[in-house]
Amino acid sequence: MRPSGRHLWLGLAAAPIVGFFALPFLYLIAVSLKTKDDVLNGRFWPTTPTLANWPAAFEAANILGFILNSVIVSLLSGLVTIALALPSAYAVLRLKIGGKWLSDVTLSSYMAPPIVALIPLFFLLKTIGLLDTRAGLVLIYSFANVPVAFWLLMPFLRRMPIEIEQAAAMDGAGPFRTLLQIVVPIIAPGIVATFIIVTVLSYNEFLFASAFTFSDATRTLPVGISLFQGDRLVNFGQMAAASLAGIAPVYLVALFMQRYLVSGLAHGGVK
Amino acid sequence: MTAFAVEVLEPDTAGVAARRHAFWARLGRLTWIAPVLVALAVTTLYPTVFLLALAFSKSTLGKPFRGFVGIKHFATALQDPVFLSAIGRSVAYALATSMVQLALGFLIALLFTSLLKAGRFLMSLVLLPLMTPPVMVGIAWKLIFAPAGGLLNGALITYGVVSEPISFLGHPTLAWLAIGVADLWQWTPFIVILCFAALSTIPEGVHEAALVDGANGWQRFWHITLPLVAAPLSSIYLLKLILSFKLFDLVYILTFGGPGFATTSAGFAIYRRAIEQFDVGRAAAETMVYALVIGLVTLPVVRLHQHFERREL
Repeated sequence: MRPSGRHLWLGLAAAPIVGFFALPFLYLIAVSLKTKDDVLNGRFWPTTPTLANWPAAFEAANILGFILNSVIVSLLSGLVTIALALPSAYAVLRLKIGGKWLSDVTLSSYMAPPIVALIPLFFLLKTIGLLDTRAGLVLIYSFANVPVAFWLLMPFLRRMPIEIEQAAAMDGAGPFRTLLQIVVPIIAPGIVATFIIVTVLSYNEFLFASAFTFSDATRTLPVGISLFQGDRLVNFGQMAAASLAGIAPVYLVALFMQRYLVSGLAHGGVK
Repeated sequence: MTAFAVEVLEPDTAGVAARRHAFWARLGRLTWIAPVLVALAVTTLYPTVFLLALAFSKSTLGKPFRGFVGIKHFATALQDPVFLSAIGRSVAYALATSMVQLALGFLIALLFTSLLKAGRFLMSLVLLPLMTPPVMVGIAWKLIFAPAGGLLNGALITYGVVSEPISFLGHPTLAWLAIGVADLWQWTPFIVILCFAALSTIPEGVHEAALVDGANGWQRFWHITLPLVAAPLSSIYLLKLILSFKLFDLVYILTFGGPGFATTSAGFAIYRRAIEQFDVGRAAAETMVYALVIGLVTLPVVRLHQHFERREL
């Protein structure tokens, strides 16, 4: 590798890329600080910054309630998804149950767009009386993300040295105890990464949430925000503030957990 | 009754006991994968069967299955120019955005790989768009593209490129481009991460050997790097293709399918048919048609991926 001259050029090439990816986020912050007149002048930063949009947004819609719904639904479904996917992934890989057939079917089930399941799941929730409930969303998300979790966990399990499990079996541990007491602690980073990813997927989900909930008590944040621009008066400043409030939890997780996330995504995405 | 009982049993009965034991053992093994089987049943098998039944029946959102109507819904769907062009747009959009983002993501990954340490830092930065809820992505870009007070129009007017603000989201072609830009912003980082991972699997020695043989930068890229990552690149393309066919949130927020039906994707058309018009019978038929089209479009890519993987072995 040649000395730093080349690096300088590469760094300069990276600057506009970083700028492009930072732009919408910075603009949201800028707009959230603008007064109503300021929004219309089309400049980037506010001329007279104000914090008034923030409390106004929280008053205009039940933003805190929406965020709470989203957090509850996504955390619960994330936990259930891991509990469902981990034993199965372990069984397919180590106990040779289900085999290639099961992993192929699981993966291909992810190929169909969610719109395919929209109408049938609507009737399912209606039949079991869970339409417009948070429990209904938890149920759907838990199941829907199993293929993703299954696929993300697989490479972590595969890289685990089998000798350790064999030693546990020699000591008389059953497969379930081996999984819980030996495997789980070793692949914990992979489990954490997978949990974060499926939780964020649920937190961000919009299609099912918009069709399966219709009261403020159950609506998740994306649905709540989407209504913000619908029947209420469009106020860009408040919309930006509400959006930022909704993004904040995910970005906090991303910042603190980035190491796990990059490895989780990178290993799971490409075989 | 254990050891003794087994001893006095006839050989035949012992066989039955053994088989019964094997049955319970197999059932015990099945409980391991039962969760995934249930999940697949609920999210894939049941919806497919249910949709098929809906597609052949007179059904509304309130009252499903009110009589068999044969292939009527399929006939209507296949003769509806609005729906057919929605499918065409979805296919074109998926193929185009996936290709553009794969090329761009791969280039950025190459750049980040050359930047070493700094590249790793940039990587955790570009993670953020991926984590952003698509609805909020749509809102951020809607603010940028807005005719009154939008950032892009503001810049264009300030620098004298245009005198009147352009209604980006109100113009059929520009609205698609706007959706494409928002999509690119959200998903290219994901592709960068995957390409970065694929590039990091190339052993160091390979490049050094080529360097010793006197290969220049372009030759090394074309004859060594690219063939080595062809298989992962094809699977990344496939993954993005699948994700692009799911396009819904950005359309809902940015254009709501408009102007007219110009940005109505197949998924959005089906959603409106079912949730707004309550015509779930026809929506079910449309869904089956769309799923079939997705299968036909992705099959060659799956084959391509298999081809690259075989070559590697």
